[in-house]
Amino acid sequence: MASPDPFDSALDLLRRLNPKHTSEHLNNIIALAPDLTEDLLSSVDQPLTVRRCKQTGRDYLLCDYNRDGDSYRSPWSNQFDPPLDEAGVGGVGAGGSNEGAGEGAVPGERVRKMEIKANEAFDVYRELYYEGGVSSVYLWNLDDGFAGVVLLKKASPQNDSTSSGVWDSIHVFEASERGRTSNYRLTSTVILSLATRGASLGEVDLSGYMTRQVEQDLPVENDESHIANIGRLVEDMELKMRNLLQEVYFGKAKDVVGDLRSIGSLSEGQRDRETQRELIGSMRR
Amino acid sequence: MSSPKAIVSSFVEGAPPGEVSSGYIKALTISTPNLVDELGPAFKKYNEEQFTTVKLPGGSQQVIVSSHNSLGGGRYYDVESSCSFAFDHATQKASATESHVLDGAQADLTKSILKGLSAYVKEHFTNAAYGAYPIENDSKIAIIIVANKYSPNNFWNGRWRSLYIFDPSSNSLEGSIKVDVHYYEDGNVRLLTNKPLTASVPSATGAGIAREISAAEKKYQEELNRSFTSLSEGAFKALRRQLPVTRQKIEWDKVASYRLGQDIGGGAARR
Repeated sequence: MASPDPFDSALDLLRRLNPKHTSEHLNNIIALAPDLTEDLLSSVDQPLTVRRCKQTGRDYLLCDYNRDGDSYRSPWSNQFDPPLDEAGVGGVGAGGSNEGAGEGAVPGERVRKMEIKANEAFDVYRELYYEGGVSSVYLWNLDDGFAGVVLLKKASPQNDSTSSGVWDSIHVFEASERGRTSNYRLTSTVILSLATRGASLGEVDLSGYMTRQVEQDLPVENDESHIANIGRLVEDMELKMRNLLQEVYFGKAKDVVGDLRSIGSLSEGQRDRETQRELIGSMRR
Repeated sequence: MSSPKAIVSSFVEGAPPGEVSSGYIKALTISTPNLVDELGPAFKKYNEEQFTTVKLPGGSQQVIVSSHNSLGGGRYYDVESSCSFAFDHATQKASATESHVLDGAQADLTKSILKGLSAYVKEHFTNAAYGAYPIENDSKIAIIIVANKYSPNNFWNGRWRSLYIFDPSSNSLEGSIKVDVHYYEDGNVRLLTNKPLTASVPSATGAGIAREISAAEKKYQEELNRSFTSLSEGAFKALRRQLPVTRQKIEWDKVASYRLGQDIGGGAARR
């Protein structure tokens, strides 16, 4: 049998190891296989880091898509922190393509204008759904349209000593413009970490991530409608994923524990089922 | 930086229930296929900590591998079947069974505990192994219950494991219950729990000890079930609403006017 592809192996491993420590595992895998560094960093979602924009004082989120070397671009000021060398700044022209994620992607003029509007729109979205937290949107040019990432992060109060939670949403999309319609492909990951502790409970950690994809063609009149389309796609996806997370984290996990150990007596349960079967049988007669 | 061996060892030790054997090993050999040969200690640590279960050649019962029933030299023993066996930590297979009859000061109580456990485990676990072993020169008895359910077709695996040390000199029971659940359909979700326990046993018989364990585990599971509800209603809800306060989805065509028309608090929160 052929040996497994190292990249697939690394992803497979990351799907198995404790998702609470994905960043640590990722660094370890990269230490073992440095060749995979770029591929892994661009395809493995990690909890987002918050930084304060020096120009505007507003918080923004760091990811591979607004990174250039060790610098990150603020969506509020469009400036890199720490500043890039003169040679690195400039980005690309309005019509140019740069799949520059991780290479100091500064979008062209038209796409940057959309980026500003998208950040304002998702700041409203963030406040309405998260009532706190931080949001950032980064866009970049593609040959036949543009692509981007919508990021949202919220940590539940740290002063609550018994339980805590962190939510990270990472929505990566591509918009291919085809005249009056645009094709959107969205890949969404939500990383959710919850923990609680107590004297009679001990420690409980419930952490992980789920990923879903959706593709849709939607009508486009102007650049504003791009933002509305992406907004709806992300809003619908987050609603779906929130329900899914609720089901898996609290329903599925509890069911599996119940499958491992039954609170009630198994033999009584068996007797009850038999009695019920007899009862149904006698009613049929 | 950690050595490649230390890194890969940490991957083995962090494997979810039932997943260390399958595709896992291959995934470990990303760039250094020979490394797997050096992982003996990591596999041993994993198996002993996770109370790996194994069927003895010709047997149908699952027996436990742990540090408490280790004879050294890669051999372990089982009290109920009065057997010892060699265990290959990398392949998780048992071989070379030999007769091993338990004697010593705690032999009778150990067997009595096994009898008590047998009744309890049968009533509450569909797939569990259990064991009791005299330890520390017959001064204490280690009691282990481990339940595994693997459902790879439905993308989940789970393990419940409890360890108690009974001290006959003080009639005290000390231990912990740990639950590990892995769900991995289009994602990777892990439940890890740890509940330390101490109890004093009024009647230091096998049945009395099993009764104490049964009561403690029932109480814990109920507590754990309540914690799912409180996390869902508490921390989870506090992170993201299902819908905005208005109970309506956002009107994206008008989103630019939201900030002007409505006081949504965003501006004030971060001056």
